[in-house]
Amino acid sequence: MNRILNGLAAALLLSATTAAGAASGAGGQPGDPQQVTRTIEVVMHDNYFEPEQLSFAAGETVRLKVRNEGALVHEFNIGTAAMHEAHQGQMQMMVDHGVIRGDHLNRELMKMDMGGGHSMAHDHANSLLLEPGQEAELVWKFDHADQLEFACNVPGHYQAGMMGGIDVE
Amino acid sequence: MKRLMTALLLSASASAGAEEMRHSMHHGFFYGLQADALEYRYGDSGEELGYWSTEAWWGTDELKALWLSEAEYDFDHDSWETLDNRLALQTPVSDFLDLRGGLRFDTPDGENRHYVFVGLSGLLPYWLEMDSNLYLSEHGDLSLDLALEYELLLTNRLHLTPELEFDAALSDDEAVGVGRGLRGMEAGLRLSYDLLDRAVVPYLGVHYERAFGRSADFAVQDGEDRDGWFAIAGVRLMF
Amino acid sequence: MSSSALLSALALLPALSWAGEYRLTVDEVTIDTGDFRKQGIGYNGASPGPVLRFREGEDVTIHVTNNLDEPTSVHWHGLILPYQMDGVPGLSYPGIAPGETFTYRFPITQSGTYWFHSHSGFQEPDGAYGAIIIEPNGREPFRYDREYVVQLTDKHPHSGDRIMRNLKTSADYYNRQQQTVGDFWRDTREQGLAATLKDRLMWGDMRMMSSDIEDVQGFTGLINGKGPEQNWTGLFKPGERVRLRLINSSAMTYFDVRLPGLKMTVVQADGNNVQPVTVDELRIGVAETYDVIVQPKEDRAYTVFAESMGRSGFARGTLAPREGMLGEIPELRPAPLLTMADMGMAHAGMDHGSMSHGDMADMDDSGINHDDMAGMDHGSMSQGRAAELPADPFYAEGSGLVPQAYNDGRFLSYADLRAQKPLYEERKPTREIELRLTGNMERYTWSINGIKESDAEPIRLQYGERVRFKFVNETMMTHPMHLHGMWSILDVGAGQWNPVKHVISVAPGTTVYMETEVDAPGKWAFHCHLSYHAAAGMFRTVIVEGGPEGGDS
Repeated sequence: MNRILNGLAAALLLSATTAAGAASGAGGQPGDPQQVTRTIEVVMHDNYFEPEQLSFAAGETVRLKVRNEGALVHEFNIGTAAMHEAHQGQMQMMVDHGVIRGDHLNRELMKMDMGGGHSMAHDHANSLLLEPGQEAELVWKFDHADQLEFACNVPGHYQAGMMGGIDVE
Repeated sequence: MKRLMTALLLSASASAGAEEMRHSMHHGFFYGLQADALEYRYGDSGEELGYWSTEAWWGTDELKALWLSEAEYDFDHDSWETLDNRLALQTPVSDFLDLRGGLRFDTPDGENRHYVFVGLSGLLPYWLEMDSNLYLSEHGDLSLDLALEYELLLTNRLHLTPELEFDAALSDDEAVGVGRGLRGMEAGLRLSYDLLDRAVVPYLGVHYERAFGRSADFAVQDGEDRDGWFAIAGVRLMF
Repeated sequence: MSSSALLSALALLPALSWAGEYRLTVDEVTIDTGDFRKQGIGYNGASPGPVLRFREGEDVTIHVTNNLDEPTSVHWHGLILPYQMDGVPGLSYPGIAPGETFTYRFPITQSGTYWFHSHSGFQEPDGAYGAIIIEPNGREPFRYDREYVVQLTDKHPHSGDRIMRNLKTSADYYNRQQQTVGDFWRDTREQGLAATLKDRLMWGDMRMMSSDIEDVQGFTGLINGKGPEQNWTGLFKPGERVRLRLINSSAMTYFDVRLPGLKMTVVQADGNNVQPVTVDELRIGVAETYDVIVQPKEDRAYTVFAESMGRSGFARGTLAPREGMLGEIPELRPAPLLTMADMGMAHAGMDHGSMSHGDMADMDDSGINHDDMAGMDHGSMSQGRAAELPADPFYAEGSGLVPQAYNDGRFLSYADLRAQKPLYEERKPTREIELRLTGNMERYTWSINGIKESDAEPIRLQYGERVRFKFVNETMMTHPMHLHGMWSILDVGAGQWNPVKHVISVAPGTTVYMETEVDAPGKWAFHCHLSYHAAAGMFRTVIVEGGPEGGDS
């Protein structure tokens, strides 16, 4: 089952980038691919990012190409420290419900309606959730000068140091 | 007895061979020195006695050599009322009970007796300490005793310990004041306080003794009381 | 030389053979806990000894000089090395005679937090221990700004020999938490006379004590050699990530460790990286290590509080932005009591531990995806963690020892541990060996399968096999089982992600499985790491036959 679902993964995650809304606090918004000025590559390892510091100019639209070279599921999420902290509760729920399972995701569960219009789909415009070996892109426009962080909010990962700083000047 | 002796010798020789096996952490032999009672007794008719009950042991989990000593010294008459020393070997026979056997040397002022004895001691259900022995004297007289003790924890350091002991004989041994049948009982109640760990434990208490049947008659003939109450003060030691 | 050339030259360095030389002297020392002073044994003039800092890939040479008037030894706890260097007298070598120097030489093939201690007599409880830090070759899978060793111990005013003798004379010698008349009246008020009587009669009938959790009470808990009043302090700048290398070097005592106000992210267990798990409190068994990362953000002091599992004592230290700052010291929580479940009587033959693990093993064998099992563990266990604490599968169901976090938050369980990176390829074990942990509380005898080490045959393993050990704890004590020389892969039902340890704690009334890749020839020790249990005979010699160097039989 894993193998079948793996194929779906990239598409699903890419579609997530188009769903805006919740991301307005993340120092910016999903960007227009036509406006991209440069492409930044970020590699996920177990459990840290490479690089661990990014800098952008306010108003810049960039393409973030994120590749998971680790053996575990990781997230790439743009936000403030407070946003990450809030998001970690949701991620813990995804672990508790068996959606995030160490080295893979349970896509079936992600599609399930959890009631009250909630799902475990992890559709956030400011984030990517990648299984080992997966690669995905996120186009982001940084609106204004800010101190942001990119982080993996899989439980324990942020606390262990899987995060980096974003300077928007 | 002979079997126990053989076992002790065997274990001693095994320990020599075990030297190479004795890697670092393993300890085989232990010893202990204890005075269950080291006390002063003041009787209801004004008599003053000193009393001790001590135990020294050395050995392994499987086999221990013991020296047990019990004595009662009458300060008024400067005489040993009781002087009972025992050498014994002890081995476990169940999770909570030990079998003991050995020699008992009764050497108070007056007539002496030697015995061989075998006994069972240990912990009964509900935390009753038990010690029971069967004695065969050099004259062929059989006697037995049974002692029970319970430690009630008023607090973790303040303990109240009732004790009860019965002595019986299967034949008369008039020279040492033993009459056939149930010949005596002792009851005690000690209030103790663990002053220094369990190593130094002072206590206060009462002690009651009573002779029965022909043993009581022998006591009266000797000008002693049939029974007596004592106030006691003493200390329990463990090293 | 261009900077890039310099960099590449530097990058080559770790690949070159790296050799360090170290010296340890074994000395008589005075130990001051703040509560009492005593003569003890230490290294390089102090107890605990120095922190030895090695590097993965390094070839170490350690000269150990014995300044005592008795033989000694040094065991490198958790290190993978040739058995002749393992430091167990009678197995690895004869030991180190008074006045002599023994030189240890071995390659460092691992990284993480470990410790070293004497394996002779009761020198370790008497003070002969220290910490080992091994830097990894690459980068760590986590980040921190500074680090501290937090080495716990249970320092007792009595010498180890005296403690052992006292326990042999009277097994409850040190138990000052026994049920009293006062407890009887309190329980009668709370539970009624009939229930209280029934309880007391049940325990009395077994001649066992529900309060028998810590054999040796009356200790002062130390952190890095400092008593609660002496207050070991580690400094931080608010916002920094601080790595605490927790090591439990106690003779007998499990500690429940917390830093009120801070969450701990566990990143290593027994020197091996684990997938990070954030908890409020954790229990560290004797001889285990846990590395945790904390991030104190406020400009204030945080107390490091380690209560003993039986609540008879504690260790205390402080993390603070400046020297001399004090955090609040919490009250000791009430002492737990063992239940019939801990006596293995609640669900005879049906304890949670053996059930779930046994089942998982079977499923592994039949090829069912065990990752799903692991997932189910998570899924079913942790919903609404705070409100409804899940039973920890590593305690008997209904056990009195199940830990609860001080703030009703998350308490680390063995079930939470997942290897960060599998160390071995997963494969079916070649065979299973059952080890029943046995003993007699009243006589203070301890054994494996009812046989003390002195009467036992060694366990013989073949080089190259993978053995599954089944621990069945038939006693009422918790036993931290330590296999020398080879890793203990704890079965938490996570297949290849099972954590790799060197100590497996087995709670009363439970069955726990571990697997070992038999990859180290020679003679090894395998024992309960409670000092007085090991000395009493809960110990086995393991002989690994065959292998590259021709196993010693």
